[in-house]
Amino acid sequence: MSQKLNSAVNEFNQEMKPVSLWADAWKRLRRNKMALVSLWVVGFYALVALAAPFLPLHDYRTQTLSHTNLRPSFKPAGQIALEAVEAQVILLQERVDAGVESLKPNLERTLLEVESLKAALVNDPASKNVYIFGTDYLGRDMLAKTIYGARISMMVGLIGTLTAVLVGVIIGAISGYIGGWLDNLLMRFVDIMYGLPYMLIVIILMALFRKEGQSSIVILFVGIALVSWLTIARVVRGQIISLKNSEFVEAARSMGAGTGRIIFRHLLPNALGVIIIFTSLSLPSFIMSESFLSFLGLGVSAPLSSWGSLVSEGANTMELYPWQLLAPAIEMTIFLFCMNFLGDGLRDALDPQSKNRT
Amino acid sequence: MSKYIIRRALSLIPTMFIIVTLSFFLVRFAPGGPFSSEKKVTEQVLQNLLKKYHMDEPLGKQYLRYLGDVLRGDFGPSFRYRDSTVNQLIAQTLPNSMMLGTIALSMALFAGIGVGIVSALKQNRWQDYLAMSFAVVGISIPLFVIGPLLQLILGLKLRWLPISGWITSRDGWKTLILPALTLSFPYFAYIARLSRASILEVLRSDYVRTARAKGLSERVVIGKHVLKGGLLPVVSYLGPAFSGIITGSLVVESVFAIPGIGRVFVQSALNRDYTLIMGEVIMYSLILVTMNFIVDIVYGFLDPRISYK
Repeated sequence: MSQKLNSAVNEFNQEMKPVSLWADAWKRLRRNKMALVSLWVVGFYALVALAAPFLPLHDYRTQTLSHTNLRPSFKPAGQIALEAVEAQVILLQERVDAGVESLKPNLERTLLEVESLKAALVNDPASKNVYIFGTDYLGRDMLAKTIYGARISMMVGLIGTLTAVLVGVIIGAISGYIGGWLDNLLMRFVDIMYGLPYMLIVIILMALFRKEGQSSIVILFVGIALVSWLTIARVVRGQIISLKNSEFVEAARSMGAGTGRIIFRHLLPNALGVIIIFTSLSLPSFIMSESFLSFLGLGVSAPLSSWGSLVSEGANTMELYPWQLLAPAIEMTIFLFCMNFLGDGLRDALDPQSKNRT
Repeated sequence: MSKYIIRRALSLIPTMFIIVTLSFFLVRFAPGGPFSSEKKVTEQVLQNLLKKYHMDEPLGKQYLRYLGDVLRGDFGPSFRYRDSTVNQLIAQTLPNSMMLGTIALSMALFAGIGVGIVSALKQNRWQDYLAMSFAVVGISIPLFVIGPLLQLILGLKLRWLPISGWITSRDGWKTLILPALTLSFPYFAYIARLSRASILEVLRSDYVRTARAKGLSERVVIGKHVLKGGLLPVVSYLGPAFSGIITGSLVVESVFAIPGIGRVFVQSALNRDYTLIMGEVIMYSLILVTMNFIVDIVYGFLDPRISYK
């Protein structure tokens, strides 16, 4: 590959300017429409998640008990609540007219509710709130909830991926460069870890070390990161082994570079492509693992919420209030979708085998 | 070959040993005993309970006892369900999960390979684009989103299918459709992509060109030459697929209220039913490593390029 970089003609006899791997990859990525759109979407998600405290959102913890389970709408909440209750009045009136006497107290109570909501429309500033994603069973804004859930999910994904990459790269590099018994030992260990049903181990960890009513997010990190560095370690090791006997490493060594310098300055930059591909593909899988655990009730616990726990909450009420399921589900699916496209796009762009082919 | 099989079979022993050891010590070092969340019991009662579960012995002895029990296939009594042993709980629930998993995996295999073949043969035509966009959706959406969405649309809105229950209930086998669809969807999508990619690669290979040059009919070329090589990656994907189906069944059984081992496993994790957790993890691991073993052996028979020494 290093030879090809300096030549002015590629294997198809096409004239070419020498370009850096990154410029070349960027050029290829830009040509991939889906990946580019995905990049924008992911960027938008990241921006919203980062800027969430400064955005004009309703507080995601504030409970407005007169505005529970409102449907998504651009109209002010007071009006939506009123419409919902008035519809209930009509329903009850019909039943009472049909002779169901036992519902009479209900009807009277609902009529009172209508009056108080009408008064609130004027007096209560909260009735001017607009909930474009609707509200949940405690009258909390679904938009704010899903954005804050996205923050947690994305944070777990990011930290998990970074830990995995860091540990995996270091172990893979050492194992590949030093070789011998150390390599043997580390790789046997990785083999055995591969044989373990890792999700089950994470579930055991969560079950055992999670404290009731306390945020267990740290254990979640540890649990997921503990088992996720294996793949990257193997990949990096392979890259290092294939490169460690090449001339440029020998040159560096002959000039007196130490082991650490050779690994980090000369070998790892060559493995950066695979590391980036791995990172972008494992971020969505981390988010999936976290949400999977949260969905089962073994992940982040209240008051924190993530996409997984929001979907699980929404699934309980989907028959009557489907938006409580749909809002986090669709939001999450779009993000994972785009991450997968972006990962695929990066892989195509950075794959050295497809380099310089037009 | 037989030498390889024996060596590969022997390598299962250390993996299982590590799993048993790991789960035993993880559970023993976890904060809070299995009895800590119950209402206050007197010292005497606690002592008796500890004695009943042999938890008053030194750790080493407990470990050896547990190893011996597991070797005899006895996972001991459940901490939570006082009247049943772990073995009974597993025996009641495992067959249901096996059935669901088998159905889901066969659906994923048949549909996935079929779609993969069609889109490879119709590369860059609408059939291909349609199938592959469908497959990307399948890979991106988590199971716990597909499950409730299918329940909402096919069950609650259209009222075509029951949303939960098991074959023993009133709705009978219809209860199987939604969970099996949900569980198979991601693996269907992956297998479709995998078989498409590898069939495309094989189509360009020299031996297929040779077969065509010999004048074989397209049917024979595809059926006898392309599929044989093109489906090998699917065989090696079966191992990860098994493990995915097992973890996936945790969610699917919870969503669809299926009396399977996955739901019991989640319950036992939430309840901290230690013996049950250990028993189930060991059981799961045994199934998993055995399946991987079988897949490896089968792969060796199918792929003529691999020779075992």
